[in-house]
Amino acid sequence: MASVTYNNIYKSWGEVKVIKDLNLEIRDKEFLVLVGPSGSGKSTALRLLAGLEEITSGELYIGDRLVNDVPPKDRDIAMVFQSYALYPHMSVYDNMAFGLKLRKMPAAEIEEKVKEAAGMLGLETLLDRKPKALSGGQRQRVALGRAIVRHPAVFLMDEPLSNLDAKLRVETRSQISKLHKRLDTTFVYVTHDQTEALTMADRIAVLKDGMLQQVDSPQVLYDSPKNVFVAGFIGSPAMNFFDATVTGSPEEMYIDTGGFRVRVPQSYVNALRGYGGKKVVFGIRPEDIHSARFTPGGVTGETVRGKVDMQEIMGNEIILYMDTSGSSYTARVDPRERAQIGDEVEVAFNMENMHVFDPETEEAIYA
Amino acid sequence: MSLRLNRLLLYLPLIVITLFFLLPLYVVVVTSFKSFDEVSLQRMWQLPSGINFDNFRLAWEQLAPHLWNSIKLVVPAALLSSALGSLNGFVLAKWKFPGADIVFPALLFGMFIPYQAVLIPLVQFMRTIDLYGGLPGLILTHVIYGIPITTLTFRNFYAAIPSELIEAARIDGAGMLQTYWNILLPISIPAFVVVLIWQFTAAWNDFLFAVVLTNPSNWPITVALNNMAGSQIIQWNVQMAGAFLAALPTLLVYIFLGRYFLRGMLAGALKG
Amino acid sequence: MRIKRDALLGFLMVLPSIIAIGIFVYGFIGWTGRVSLSNWVGLLPNYEWAGLKNYTNLLFNDPRFMVDIRNTVIFTVLFVLGCLILGLFLAVLLDQGLRGEAFFRSLFLFPMAISFIVTGVVWRWLMNPAQGSRISGLNLLFDRIGLDSLINSWHATPTWGIAAIAIPAIWQMSGYTMALYLGGLRAIPDDLREAARVDGASEVEIYRHVILPLLRPVTLSAMIILGHISLKVFDLIIAVAGKQLALDVPAIYMWTTTFDGQFYGRGAAIAMLLLLSVAILVIPYLYYTIRTEAEL
Repeated sequence: MASVTYNNIYKSWGEVKVIKDLNLEIRDKEFLVLVGPSGSGKSTALRLLAGLEEITSGELYIGDRLVNDVPPKDRDIAMVFQSYALYPHMSVYDNMAFGLKLRKMPAAEIEEKVKEAAGMLGLETLLDRKPKALSGGQRQRVALGRAIVRHPAVFLMDEPLSNLDAKLRVETRSQISKLHKRLDTTFVYVTHDQTEALTMADRIAVLKDGMLQQVDSPQVLYDSPKNVFVAGFIGSPAMNFFDATVTGSPEEMYIDTGGFRVRVPQSYVNALRGYGGKKVVFGIRPEDIHSARFTPGGVTGETVRGKVDMQEIMGNEIILYMDTSGSSYTARVDPRERAQIGDEVEVAFNMENMHVFDPETEEAIYA
Repeated sequence: MSLRLNRLLLYLPLIVITLFFLLPLYVVVVTSFKSFDEVSLQRMWQLPSGINFDNFRLAWEQLAPHLWNSIKLVVPAALLSSALGSLNGFVLAKWKFPGADIVFPALLFGMFIPYQAVLIPLVQFMRTIDLYGGLPGLILTHVIYGIPITTLTFRNFYAAIPSELIEAARIDGAGMLQTYWNILLPISIPAFVVVLIWQFTAAWNDFLFAVVLTNPSNWPITVALNNMAGSQIIQWNVQMAGAFLAALPTLLVYIFLGRYFLRGMLAGALKG
Repeated sequence: MRIKRDALLGFLMVLPSIIAIGIFVYGFIGWTGRVSLSNWVGLLPNYEWAGLKNYTNLLFNDPRFMVDIRNTVIFTVLFVLGCLILGLFLAVLLDQGLRGEAFFRSLFLFPMAISFIVTGVVWRWLMNPAQGSRISGLNLLFDRIGLDSLINSWHATPTWGIAAIAIPAIWQMSGYTMALYLGGLRAIPDDLREAARVDGASEVEIYRHVILPLLRPVTLSAMIILGHISLKVFDLIIAVAGKQLALDVPAIYMWTTTFDGQFYGRGAAIAMLLLLSVAILVIPYLYYTIRTEAEL
């Protein structure tokens, strides 16, 4: 059982800084997901924790122990790799037992632990197989098993689902979540897939260019992203952004994108008071733009007319790619909205869920 | 139809070239099996009247001890240089130290040098450490000058193995030697086959080191065969049988393990 | 520091090889270099300083060394070109998906398994220069099948005798060249040929405009490998013809002058010149190959 603390961590390869001043506290028994685009440093952050890369400066703690110079094997961690990294010449049993054998654990105890993990993962009948004779999903489970048998204080996973097909990925997602509950230890999980992050994490840490952007629970991250990057990265389809100007008076304040004008709800007026006449970045999620004819109850939208450039019919919803006088955006509307490409339709912006960002700092301006 | 004809036309040059490749083989086999009374240079291209082992018997009498020398030489030389190459290849591909990228090409260069450039010191050195004239000195020479090619082959082989495998072993608690012994060695059997065959062939076929470093009693087969070919007393038909005997071991290896042999050869082109 | 300790362990594991190659390659080359600057003649080592005398003698005063250079040039050009042409031709032929491809491939490769000595001993009799009543070998074969115009005196031909040695050398190494080219051909994705076909290229045009340009790196590798083999050629000539002055090359001159004639200083100078010529060929290649590999 252990917490993890990154304290002013830097990592450079020669001149290139891949991690810049990372400060992150991962709580004991927490499921923390490190998420970010490729090159954001998320895998490096994990590999520093694993001890596979040397820390350039800063302090890294597992529990109360400073682990900067502790070799991987003594860090009380286990890791699941993207490619699974199963030893090709060893059976499933030996793959799981290898780490325990190196620790000189008695054979009987090893067998007990391997059987226990195999039972948890449904691998009992595969123990004699070589990795070559397993399906992708089975290999993935062996990789999990190899980590489980060690009963580590911290579980590390580097994109463990990216080699699985879509269906299996969804199944395994919930399996890993259950595993976390059952093992009751700290999980640190790296992914570039924000859906994985939202569905599995207790908390998500978003990284970009080696810098931590925001750490919080999935819901907070979704509702109150701290900056343009997080707002755009979390949520799919991605949030719409407009370069806009704040106009009107405090009594009647508007966001003007040049293509259309929408009224700022009273709850936001105070926050934007100082921005009158200034440029801002206006953000709104596609799911907060409804069809004017089929607006859900309780939502009073600001209506905007626009032309349909393209649409994707998903069955339970329709994604419209809209254009209003040169401002383009995506809307997720009711499937009953039967528009044709080129049609003019009326949509309603749920402005209670709007986001505004400072165009210089890209930081969110909160109500 | 014309496509068919085109295809047949492809075989024409192929057959001509095949004859060029088979010609020496034909002469060796035909001559070796002739009886003494049938042998004459004028009847070189004719088939023997029956299978006769006279030539082999005589060649064997001359060459048997040298064949044995070759075996005693080649087996340890191939094993030792392969083992060294495997260790070096592992470190240079997966356990790099600062400067490894300079050490690797520096080792490789040793594979291309004309050995004349080291012969004088080599003889002096072997005399000094009292290994001149015998097989151990020649074995040592083959092991050392085999290091570059064996290292190259193993390095290329190990470089193709995902680094995550090594990292998984590190997290499992394996040190360098444990990683090598438990993870990499068991999966490098194909590379060992390639390298062993290559070193076996190279050492078996060497002439230069052997002729400079060994006494006549320790001559391996190549030197003995060349000496027999230069001799005025020994008939050319016996020489042919001798050539047959000298080529047989490597040919057998080639026939049975040819696929690996090809791979070993291509490694010499520096491509993984 | 854990990672430093790991690096040290790795270094220690390679150290024996570094030391061995350090002494046996670089140390010995330095030693040979020193001998080449000495007056050492005779059995007992003599390191008396001679300056560049051995080199100037070889390059400006030694008709035998001039013959060596001429022979090396003739042999290298014929051998390298012969292997490249025959090797490429065979590779392209075998790339057509003919029946029995595996058989032909093995056949063309088998000489690689044989020593130059065995090859030489056999070709010594095939290329027997005798004519008239004592005619034999290939000359006899030509006579029998009516190709009298091909009868010649092989390596006994004045000046151009060395050209005959290129024949067994090509016999031995063209299969290897074929294998290199086949490897290159197989590495070209089928998509490329199909794309060219869809673009309307004929099979011949595909080879001219798509395949051959892509094989250029293979040709370069093959030229360097064959080139350095050719500079070092030694045992094949010895086995075909013994130590004849007309067929002399630097590698043989070095050997005979050093170990038969005891002219250690001169032998060492020849060895150094030989090394220099190989290094000029190989070092840029090594540098280039390792650099492009690092970029991948």
